[in-house]
Amino acid sequence: MTLIEFRNVSFVHQTGVTALTDVSLSIGKGETVAIVGENGAGKTTLVRHINGLLKPTKGSVLVEGKDTRETTTATLSRKVGIAFQNPDHQLFSESVENEVRFAMKNFGFGEDLIAQRLDWTLKFFGLDQYRKSSPLVLSGGEKKRLTLACILAWDPDVVVLDEPTVGQDALQKEKLGQIFKLLQSTGKTIIIVSHDVEFLWPIQPRLVVMSGGKVVADGQISQIMGNRELLEGARVTQPQLLRLYQGLASRPATPFLDVLEARDWIGGRKQKPEAR
Amino acid sequence: MSNTASIRRGPGNTLASIDHLSFRYPDSPNPAVRDVSLEVREGEVVLLAGPSGCGKSTLLRCINGLIPHMYPGEYKGGVTVGGLKVAETPMSTLAQNVGLLFQNPENQIFMFSVERDIAFGLQNLSVPREEMRSRVDETMRLLGITALADRAPHELSDGQKQRAALAGVIAMRPKLIILDEPTSLLDPKTALEVVALIEKLNRELGITFIVVEHRLELLIPIAHRLVVMDNGSKVMDGAPQEVLADGRAEGYGVGIPPVAKLYSALSKDGIRLPKVPETPEEMAEELNGL
Amino acid sequence: MYWLSGGFVFRKVISPFHRLDPRAKLLVSMEFFVLSLLSSTVVEVILILVAILLVATVAKSLRRIARTIAFSGLFAVFIFAINFLFGLGLLNALLYSVRFLAIISSTSVFFVTTSPDELEQIMKWMRVPRDVVFAFVTAVRFIPVVMLDAFQIMDAQKSRGLEFEKGNVLKRVRNLVPILIPLVVNSVIRSGELAEAMESRAYGSTPKPTSLYGMRLRWYDVAVAVPSLLLVSAVALVVVFHVTLYI
Repeated sequence: MTLIEFRNVSFVHQTGVTALTDVSLSIGKGETVAIVGENGAGKTTLVRHINGLLKPTKGSVLVEGKDTRETTTATLSRKVGIAFQNPDHQLFSESVENEVRFAMKNFGFGEDLIAQRLDWTLKFFGLDQYRKSSPLVLSGGEKKRLTLACILAWDPDVVVLDEPTVGQDALQKEKLGQIFKLLQSTGKTIIIVSHDVEFLWPIQPRLVVMSGGKVVADGQISQIMGNRELLEGARVTQPQLLRLYQGLASRPATPFLDVLEARDWIGGRKQKPEAR
Repeated sequence: MSNTASIRRGPGNTLASIDHLSFRYPDSPNPAVRDVSLEVREGEVVLLAGPSGCGKSTLLRCINGLIPHMYPGEYKGGVTVGGLKVAETPMSTLAQNVGLLFQNPENQIFMFSVERDIAFGLQNLSVPREEMRSRVDETMRLLGITALADRAPHELSDGQKQRAALAGVIAMRPKLIILDEPTSLLDPKTALEVVALIEKLNRELGITFIVVEHRLELLIPIAHRLVVMDNGSKVMDGAPQEVLADGRAEGYGVGIPPVAKLYSALSKDGIRLPKVPETPEEMAEELNGL
Repeated sequence: MYWLSGGFVFRKVISPFHRLDPRAKLLVSMEFFVLSLLSSTVVEVILILVAILLVATVAKSLRRIARTIAFSGLFAVFIFAINFLFGLGLLNALLYSVRFLAIISSTSVFFVTTSPDELEQIMKWMRVPRDVVFAFVTAVRFIPVVMLDAFQIMDAQKSRGLEFEKGNVLKRVRNLVPILIPLVVNSVIRSGELAEAMESRAYGSTPKPTSLYGMRLRWYDVAVAVPSLLLVSAVALVVVFHVTLYI
């Protein structure tokens, strides 16, 4: 079922700069989609169309079949939660719990529901011990998790993550990876904007490559990542495990998705069919 | 605790020496840096890794003098750069020896055009105009940004901003440049270009680099050394391949690139490759030769 | 709003007027300013306005200045109405409102053609203390950056269901809190980083910093400055001291 649809969307900023040109894209319920492309390719502009922060100059964006022009960002946000890149651009409350409550109050949730969801979210994200602390004293990784908690608290159908791994160390990335898997298992539609190809590769999302305001490729990540010429144009690099796979004389039919798969294959425990 | 693994290339004499350094910020109960000793030699590219909050940023500020000159606190031990004792040398002198570039180039460009910004540090050092002109031009040529001389900050792409900010540091001709997560905001290809630039400056001008970066796979190919910090202390120090191949690194929260992880895993299985691979291509070749 | 605000923002253009020494540009702008104040009839002010538009044409910035005039036109109408209602007469009311337009566009000519770097030079030349000049320069430099911050914060909070336009006055004021707090926090973080970067580049280490560019008057600066100054002085003498020329 199509949840989000971009129909020939173009967007021109007030300054006269064209940010999107004729973008068509449809995202189904429960899909995991990664958007990659050079700095300034239009990824963030695209994402801002999904909850109506920006309205197309030409074409239209439909969420659950409804044109974003005919509704408000507040209404759309109830369905589409966007976690922006910089936590400092949104944290403002005197305590972590009030920070999480903020959106639920805006959406008119009842007190009981708020309390219940607050408990669940803080525990899920490992932030329970900071309940009464100011968000400003949290570490970078904790702030990032708090911004995600703020969004998941109201349980949107679509979760959009803008560069979730920037500035995060290996342990924090691992935690993000786990959260990611859990979200996928609950059937959420996930859209992730990222430069971090090593983070994206094991997730194996559908990949949308943007360059110069256009969608230049859209498909399965392992297929697109094999096309070096295309990646070059969008200033994306190949993940290490794919590069290794391409260099091997004897290799399985499909690339290694993680270190474990590669280890098994090389160690002779070939669980994957060999390439012909 | 430090790893005594051999250093791959042996650059020149000691340029920076950190001697049993500890530092505690006045408002914190625990020291941010604990008894760290580290020698950096001329011409080295040293990669500094470790989890967030492990004391990397504090250590960087101790090397360039922001600590203790701008941030006083409980300071024990000492740092020497190019024969100068950091704690006793004024910032103006230190600035000509150690350059520091932070993550966000936006906050390091003060002027309205690239060339004037490159001149900013030189103005502060009272460099005469003719010399300033030639040093600015030379720096722009070196970084390939001559065409951007008149551009305002908002007319630059992210990669160009990073280059412009680096130019401002290079124009002061420091022997040592410290980079704090220089590529985290850049797309992969632009990040690789910045890495190539670091390599070029190191090779052609012999500038020594200390680089903090979470995406190790980007910098491993050009690094001579990898130092790992955890909880304020230096816990590992050695040739990058060997530190990565050492099982402890992962435990310290260092982002081990997939190829290095695979190498360690294969070693455990008894598959020994001729040498620790730097790139996936190198690893593939080694495996093909088995 | 965006379209109108452009009237005082510098734009990079290559024109004979832009090439003038910033002091010459300041002088020209001030001359128009003084002339507008001295003028006593509507016809005179309109002549001055035409002259300003001519200069704007030479500076290839006619559209910018036109914007300024369009923008201040609203205020001019207001000034006209007030003066007229208070019984100053049609001609006087008209004079004041047109004079207002002339004053605004004379300053606009200066700001549209003078880069922030040139403003800095002028301030230095006027012996404004270095720290003040630097504070001014960084403020101007970071206005667009902070504005971008503000937009991003607004987007983030709108995405959390915040509706600015909803509710009574009190509610609307309270709606600003989620915007203002992150904006202040970010500005504090930013200024901390700026301070570190300044310190790392030896700011303040010498009482006499040098600069990459100096201001030097060239022949065409003089060619613009001297005759125009003579002309304005002559007008001023005639108007202020009623000096009569016997020709």
